[in-house]
This record gives sequence, C-alpha cells and structure tokens, in this order.
Amino acid sequence: MDAQHAIGIAGRAFCAALITVTFGWSAGGRAAEAPVIAAASDLQFALPEIVEMFAADTGSTVKVSFGSSGNFARQIRQGAPYELFLSADEGFVLDLFREGFMRDDGVLYALGRIVIFAPLGSPLHADSSLDDLRTGLTDGRLAKFAIANPAHAPYGQRAEEVLRRRGLWDAIMPKLVIGENVSQAAQFAASSNTQGGIIAYSLALSPRVSARGTFALIPEDWHAPLRQRMALIKGAGSLATRFYSFVRRDAARVVFRKYGFVLPHEVDLTEAGAAR
Amino acid sequence: MEGLHLSLHQREPIPLDASFDCMPGEVLALVGPSGGGKTTILRAIAGSYRPQHGRISVNDETWYDTDAAVCVPCHRRTVGMVFQNYALFPHMNAAANVMSALRHLTRRERTARATELLSLVNLAGLEDRKPAALSGGQQQRVAVARALARQPRVLLLDEPFSAVDKATRQRLYREIAELRRVLDMPVILVTHDLDEAAMLADRLAVLHRGRVLQIGAPEEVAVKPESAEVARLLDLRNVFDGEVVHHDPDSGYTILDWNGKRLEASHRPHWSPGARVSWVVPEGFVLLHRRDRPSRGEHENPVRGSIEATFVTGQTTHITLRPHHDAMLPVHFTVPSHVARRNKIVTGVEATVSLLAEGIHLMPAQADAHAEGFEAHQPGK
Amino acid sequence: MDWTALGLSLQLGVVNVLCLVPVGIGVGRVLAYRRFRGKGLAEAAVALPLVLPPTVLGYYLLVAFGAASPIGHFWQLVFDQPLVFTFEALLIASIIFNLPFAIQPMQRAFEAIPPEVREAAACCGMSPWRALLSVELPLAWPGIVTAMVLSFAHTLGEFGIVLMVGGSIPGETRTIAIAIYDRVQAFDEAAAGQMSALLLALSLSVIALTFAFSRRVGRQLG
Repeated sequence: MDAQHAIGIAGRAFCAALITVTFGWSAGGRAAEAPVIAAASDLQFALPEIVEMFAADTGSTVKVSFGSSGNFARQIRQGAPYELFLSADEGFVLDLFREGFMRDDGVLYALGRIVIFAPLGSPLHADSSLDDLRTGLTDGRLAKFAIANPAHAPYGQRAEEVLRRRGLWDAIMPKLVIGENVSQAAQFAASSNTQGGIIAYSLALSPRVSARGTFALIPEDWHAPLRQRMALIKGAGSLATRFYSFVRRDAARVVFRKYGFVLPHEVDLTEAGAAR
Repeated sequence: MEGLHLSLHQREPIPLDASFDCMPGEVLALVGPSGGGKTTILRAIAGSYRPQHGRISVNDETWYDTDAAVCVPCHRRTVGMVFQNYALFPHMNAAANVMSALRHLTRRERTARATELLSLVNLAGLEDRKPAALSGGQQQRVAVARALARQPRVLLLDEPFSAVDKATRQRLYREIAELRRVLDMPVILVTHDLDEAAMLADRLAVLHRGRVLQIGAPEEVAVKPESAEVARLLDLRNVFDGEVVHHDPDSGYTILDWNGKRLEASHRPHWSPGARVSWVVPEGFVLLHRRDRPSRGEHENPVRGSIEATFVTGQTTHITLRPHHDAMLPVHFTVPSHVARRNKIVTGVEATVSLLAEGIHLMPAQADAHAEGFEAHQPGK
Repeated sequence: MDWTALGLSLQLGVVNVLCLVPVGIGVGRVLAYRRFRGKGLAEAAVALPLVLPPTVLGYYLLVAFGAASPIGHFWQLVFDQPLVFTFEALLIASIIFNLPFAIQPMQRAFEAIPPEVREAAACCGMSPWRALLSVELPLAWPGIVTAMVLSFAHTLGEFGIVLMVGGSIPGETRTIAIAIYDRVQAFDEAAAGQMSALLLALSLSVIALTFAFSRRVGRQLG
C-alpha cells in the first residue's frame, strides 16, 4: 500500500469518524435532562463533593457551572437555562427575586470569609493585619497582587473594601491582577506569577490550593458580610428542587463547614478551629 | 437560410461593427491586430458575450436578436469552439474531455463516438492520457475532437495554432485541410497570421478595432485592398500617395502621378482626373531589372534608385530601394537570394525595378477618404 | 477528560462546516466570477471577521439576538427558550465568524479556473449546474477542502465568542476550549493538560491530512 493510498484511507476514516460523532453523540451530549446549577466560584471544591453525595444518594446527577455571581445574575436575566443559583452575595438573589426571575427569595446557605494568600516562595507573608502587605508595597517586594473582579464578583468587592479600609487601595491598584471570578483570582494568587492575593477562604482550605502557599483569615468586621444566598429559578424542575433541599440538609452542611462556610448559628462552633 | 448570418454593433466597452455571412463548408478567417475584437465576435457567436445590438442566426435558428430580445444561452447553441489555449478539462483524460460534449448519447455510444473522433484527429491510442501528459499539438487535436463531438452548427477556431511550434503547425495545417472535406458547417477562424489565413480560408475579413473593413478571397484582398488602412493591416508596405492625371481607355491605362513620376496603372475610370489617391503595389508586382545586362525592350513603369537596405531570411532577400525621384517613401520587394547575389545587390548600389501596371491598385487618399471624385466603396461588398 | 465537551466541539465543528460549504461555494463563485459595483465592499464584509476582535462580534451578536431583541423574542416564542446560551446560538455565531475561512479559499479556487475552461464547458452543452458538478467543483476541490478544514479547526478553537454568546453550560455550550479554561480555574491541571494535548494532536493531524490530500489532488490535476 503506497503513501497516497494510505492517505486516502486515513482521510475517509477520519470523515467517517466525524460523521459518527456528530450524529451519534447526542445521547451523552446535548440531552438537557440533568439540570444546570449556577454556582459562585468559591464553591469550586465544596459543591462537587455535595453533588457526588447527591448522586450516591439519589442516583441522579446535576451539572454545575462555576463563575462570578454578578455574571450569572446577568445571564439569568437574559434567560440562561440555569435552574438553581448559589450566589456569593445575597443582593444578586434578592434583586432577581424582586424582578420576578426566582421562585422565591431563597435561603442563606453560608457566610463567606476572605483570606490573604501568599504562594510558596513569595517574599510576602500572609498575615491577617495586612501589615506585611503594606510594607511590601513600599519596599518593592510586591509587584503583582490578585483579587477577583470587583465589578461583578462579591469576593472581589470585599477585597477592594478591605484594601480601601486599610488605606492600601491607591498604592496597590496599579499592581492588581484581576480574576474573572474568585477561582481565577486564586489561580493567579497560587501561581508564582504574583506575590499573593485576596481569595475565598473556601478555596484556600482545599488541599489543592493550600499546598501551594500560606494564608490568613482577614477579620470579618473589616468588610460587609458575605451573606451567600441560594434560590430556585422560575421554571426549575423537580430534580433541581430536590437538590436544593439536599443542599440544606445535614450531610451537605458538613461539607460546607469543611470548607469554612458557616451559617450564622454555626459561627461559634467554628470560631475555635478557624485560622488566626 | 443556410449558414451563419451575423450583424453586431456596439460602441463600448469593446467597439464592434461587423456584418458577414458564412456558408456551410466555408472557412471564413477573421484577421487583424490583437485586441481588434476578433475573439469578441467569436465569443458572441458562441454565446458567452452579449453585444448591445445585433443579430446572429444559424441555418433557421435565431441565436441572438437584441430587437426581439432573443438570446439562446451558450449551452443550448450547438456550437463547437477550439480555444486559443485549448481549454481542455485538466482533470479528465482525452476521451472524457470528448465525451463531456456527448451527454446526449448513452454511455456505450459515448465511448464509441469518442474513440471515433479521436482517431479522426489521429490520436488513437491516447484516449487515457490527461492533458498534462499530452504535447501541445496533441492537446489541440483533442480540443478539435471535442469541438466536433456535438456535430456543431458552427465551428469556431480562436487562434488555434498560435501556441504550437512551427513544424507542428505545418502538420496541423495539412490535417485541417484534410478535415475540411468532412466539415459541412460554417467555420470561423480567428488568426493574426495572414499566411495562415491565406492558406486555410476561402474568404477573409479584415478587422480593426471591431470594424470589418473588407471581406473577400485572400488573393483578392491582398492585391486589391480597399483602403490604405487595410493595406497596412495586411502588411502591404508599398503604400504611396499619388494623383490621377488622366485615363487612356485605348491603351487600357490610367495615368498616375507619383510625386513627379508618371506611372501607368490598370484602367479605373471611376477616379476623376486630378483626384488625390493613395495606391499600393504588392511586393510580388515589383520586379528587379538585371544589372549585368542593359535593359531590352519596354519595361513597365521603370523606377530607378539606390539600394537602401537588404535583409536575408533563408532563401529570400528583402530589399528596400530608395527611388531617385522625390518618392518620399522607399519601395520594398523581395527576390530569391541567388538572384540578389548574381546581381550583386548590396546597400548603396544603383538598381532599377519595374512596377507592373496590373499590380498598381488605387485607393482613397489617406488623409481624406471622402475627397471629391471618390465614389464610396462599401466594405464587405 | 470532558468527553461531553469534546463531543460538543466536534459536533459544532462538523455542523458548522456542513452549513458553510454551500454558502462558501455560492458566495465564493459569485465573488470569483462576477464584477459588480460594491464588490470591494462585499469582499471587505466577508473578510471582516478576520480582523474583528471576537468580543466585538460577541457583543453585536448579543445585541442582535439577546432576549431583548426582535430575533430573541421570536426565538423565544417559537422554541420556548432564549436563543442565547444554546448550541444554536453558538452555531450562528460560528458560521458568521468563519465566513472568511470558508469563502476566501473557495473564492481563490474558483478564480483559479481559467474562464476559457468554463466557457468550453458551456460550449460542450453543459448547463450551468452540470458545469458546476462536472468541471468547476472537481477543479476547485482542493480549495473547498482547505476551506472546510480551516473552518473546522477554527471552530474547535473558538473561545471569546462562545463564552459571550453561549455561557459555559455543560452539555450545551461548554466546548472543549471552554472546558480547558474551566479546569485550569479549578486547579485541575491534569484534566486541562489532557484535553489540551488531545486538541493539539487533533489539530495537527487534521492539518497534515489536508495538506497531504491537496498535494495528492494537485498531482492528479498535473
């Protein structure tokens, strides 16, 4: 068989494969039976665990999309096919409810916290007073600092609030690296391309991130609380509703607590175990 | 009405002013310089060009008529065209090229007829070759076979021999001449090569900038051009100005004054005495007097002068003679090279030529074709 | 390894190409054969997506068929769901974005056919349709294949537009390029690396096959 012959066969085989994929894939692909959940990026590690538990428990699965809460709110207004929204800031959920997009005004599922994170080998120290950050700004140790986008990510808004409160905003602004959502900010902060960042506590607690550096909790009275609220969207199906209830049950709450998410009544329980 | 009848007129973008007929079995050559509209006329007959005004009919069918808003699309006119660069389909072999014009037959009939046509043009055995594997002459023959496949009502040839080398061309001329016996449709041949036209065509039409200036048999047109312009287009170089002096019906001559020299031309009474004309004498009517012997007896229109230039091509020598009288322009003629040698023709020597009266042809004066004394001569008549 | 996302990307690529082939042939032919006033403008319009930032196109597409637009409303009425965030929205965006990749190579291929050959086809009695099938398409084939491959490869790599118009809905609009982005954000470097390597291999083999194929066809045409 000469080269030309082989090329001809390869070409035809490739086309056949493509056609099969196109028309035979629908079964696993675009079937929209599994409802899609919109979840704030700080739930990047917590929620998949809960989804797995749900699947083990009920045999059904849901699909999750992570992103910034503000972005999701915009998409929901435009008719995006999400059935449940877990926002990092209750304001988004309440606005959507007032505008008539949600079934009800939902429930609070967690209080979020922010941390300052320094990757391994960074000249910065992660300290909750942000004093080292301040000196790092003046003595030039800090070149790049990551936060989520304050325009639409609640964790970014809180980061800006804290930096302003400590009088660091003007000095640090030219050095900021903005993540699309808090996950991307964590990505930047954990890489050696920045000297650190302010990210979600839940992300920092995940082994994948904590292995990459050190972090310190930022006092929660330095910023407006991150009241994380979730609600079903109008037209949500039964499976999404079941998941919504599942997320509020004890088994799920254990996972939340593992990642530093606490409800107001649980605050005292975890304060002891929280980082300084 | 049998044959091709064509009349096209257009001012822009390409000027056209052509009317002619071509009978079945006749070969009409369109000659003229490049860009003269010859190919445009061919494409109009084929149907790929639509002039603003015109009428084209073949046998009983009207293919194109702007007045009646008739335009038969190209693929419905049964026309066969051989293009300048053959335009063979490069992805098909010779047989398939011919068969693409035989779609009206069944598959078996198609193959048989294609084989038949290809052997008609002496390409038997090469049916499977693609154009890239054929020589220029072979490709040309495939193009001819393909053009003939549909039994076209008109056969169009667009400079079919221009891309072929000289030796092959000679061979193809002979083959086309053979083929002519089986061609019973009008054939229009476009060429800028006058010798080719003279060899292959029954009649030729001289075109310049889309206008047909003269139509006639090649021998006739070459010897009796209707205007100085036609003469120049036919590459006749001995074009001069003159004045008619008077007519002498008894001797059968019209006396012409050539810047002071008297010439006897064949009798043409419709030119009034005193009329300014231009005249031409084809090189074949210019005879060199032998230089070694004194002239004996009467020679027509002797012209004495000195040799200005000679140019040898093969066995022929082209000579330019500057007449002693104030002729303004030299006389060109040719002699076989051995004659030139025998007469020791070199630049600078004196020589005498005779201009044969029957070859001197009168035409309207160059600057002003509507001078008094000239009765309008219609081109194409 | 997100097989769903891969399947989605391949589906998008194939359907894209299927839609673009007739468009490319039709428009490519007209631009190759005809001269008309405004042709320059038409060619510029076709070439526009080449230089337009994807986000600009994404923005205008959202304006054109977002929930507030007439097209969006119409879609909602007929299909009971918005047009944005669906596979169909991605398809429309992809088709527009790939117009130059589909049309330009085909236009060049048709331009390369000597006009005399097309005239000869008509003189042989071929109707315009038959001439297209028997003469033009076989001769333009390498250009058509190039156009198909470029469009396919380009679709696989689309990101900005897909994100803006499609969101990242798993199983509906999360293509493999988006999935890679998503996995990187989730600190799942293993999955991101796997999918990237697969896409790289896929793109390379598609390009290599195309070049080999068109060389082969080129040889056949002599």
